[in-house]
Amino acid sequence: MASTVTPNALLSLSAELADAVERAARSVVAIDARPRIAASGVLWDSTTVIGAEHTIRRETGITVTLPDGRTVGATLVGRDPGTDLAALRLEEPADPPIATTDDPVRPGQLVLAVGRTGPDGPSASLGIVSAVGEGWRTWRGGRIDRFVRLDLAIYYGFSGSPLVDPAGRMLGLNTSALTRGSPVTIPISTIRRVVPQLVGHGGVRRGYLGVSVQAIPLRATGATGLIVLGLEPGGPAERAGLLVGDVITALDGAGLADAEQLRDRLTGERAASPLRLSVMRAGSPVEVTVTPAERRRGR
Amino acid sequence: MDFSVVAERLRRAVVEIRSDAGRGAGCGIAWRAGLVVTSAHVVDGHRATAVVAGEPRPATVLARDPVRDLALLAPAGGAPPAPPVRDSRSLRVGELVLAIGAPFGVPGAVAAGIVHATERRGPLGTRWVVADIRLFPGNSGGPLADAAGAVVGVNAMIVGGLACAVPSDVIDEFVDGALRRARPDEAA
Repeated sequence: MASTVTPNALLSLSAELADAVERAARSVVAIDARPRIAASGVLWDSTTVIGAEHTIRRETGITVTLPDGRTVGATLVGRDPGTDLAALRLEEPADPPIATTDDPVRPGQLVLAVGRTGPDGPSASLGIVSAVGEGWRTWRGGRIDRFVRLDLAIYYGFSGSPLVDPAGRMLGLNTSALTRGSPVTIPISTIRRVVPQLVGHGGVRRGYLGVSVQAIPLRATGATGLIVLGLEPGGPAERAGLLVGDVITALDGAGLADAEQLRDRLTGERAASPLRLSVMRAGSPVEVTVTPAERRRGR
Repeated sequence: MDFSVVAERLRRAVVEIRSDAGRGAGCGIAWRAGLVVTSAHVVDGHRATAVVAGEPRPATVLARDPVRDLALLAPAGGAPPAPPVRDSRSLRVGELVLAIGAPFGVPGAVAAGIVHATERRGPLGTRWVVADIRLFPGNSGGPLADAAGAVVGVNAMIVGGLACAVPSDVIDEFVDGALRRARPDEAA
């Protein structure tokens, strides 16, 4: 017999899953910021709750139901529709922050979504990681470090719940708003990158140069350059003296594979600080300093 | 590791139920000596047919409660031995559960999942155990059991893809009440 069935193994798996839910649920809250059913959220530190941006439907009168049953007021400190992340500050501190893990997520891995929609206790669903892929850009324009698709049932209040491993450690934040059909999780690394920006600036700063570019191969080096095809009149690039026909070969010394990469490099601190562009102009290298302008929120 | 041993044990206690009025069909689970519990919406008259060990037998509906969605049947010639019952109030969210039913008319079909929520209330004040498990209409009246095969509830309906089961303590209360009314002289 290939495998002997031991009911004890089932019992211990069952207990392990219940333990994982119990451990994670101590840091899972319900965020009431929309009509009808509240959404889930995670206690990130003693005063910060993170949740799914699309579930925040009003910016005032937000309450959070804590695992101990208390309902406390919360203020929205930042939101980023691009990555579907939001950060709230609790009016009273709460404990404990969620335990996280940076272990790589693998297809087939057993995972749980642990949610909370009110004072009635946590809710959970069991599934597996269905697919893991490279970083991707959401239809809302945000950059997510890894594509993690789930084979897991979606229920009311699922968005904003943590995805946890059988040890109860958070692997990411679940959302049903970024893909059709099966849900995805926003990995811990993306949350670590975005949440400080939400807390510090109220959102993810995204800069722009006002150029339209296309990637072209550079014959001399075999690398890729971005040829400037158009300039926004009065835009940051035009003001900095960039010309149509210039080929951008690097930004702050690092090469650029495509326009997407250029856009990604203009987020966060870089969104409004001077950058050094290496440019090939009529066969000669030129350095151009340009300060990106900040995109309006939601663009 | 799989559910086959636990499932096989539980399947022996499950009977297929056909309503004699022609509507509803589902399952029932042996509950105490000679009796079977099912969902009220599976039996709509005073009589039903219970398929015990492959053999259709007439069954009397001893009690029916549409609010709690429970019915108690006494099949002619008795019922299979009743499986162990566990008080669902001791369940924890995340525990493994399995369901036996007859979705699409396939008797003895097994589904596995976890406890989604230990206590949710329905609009009429009824209490449910909610499971993250994929069920279909023919699962009505069949058991929801824990990883040891102890029955924790009877599957009653599917809401938003989740299975709602009547908790075992509610079933015990219903069966106690029904037996008191049916056999007043035997009441303890």
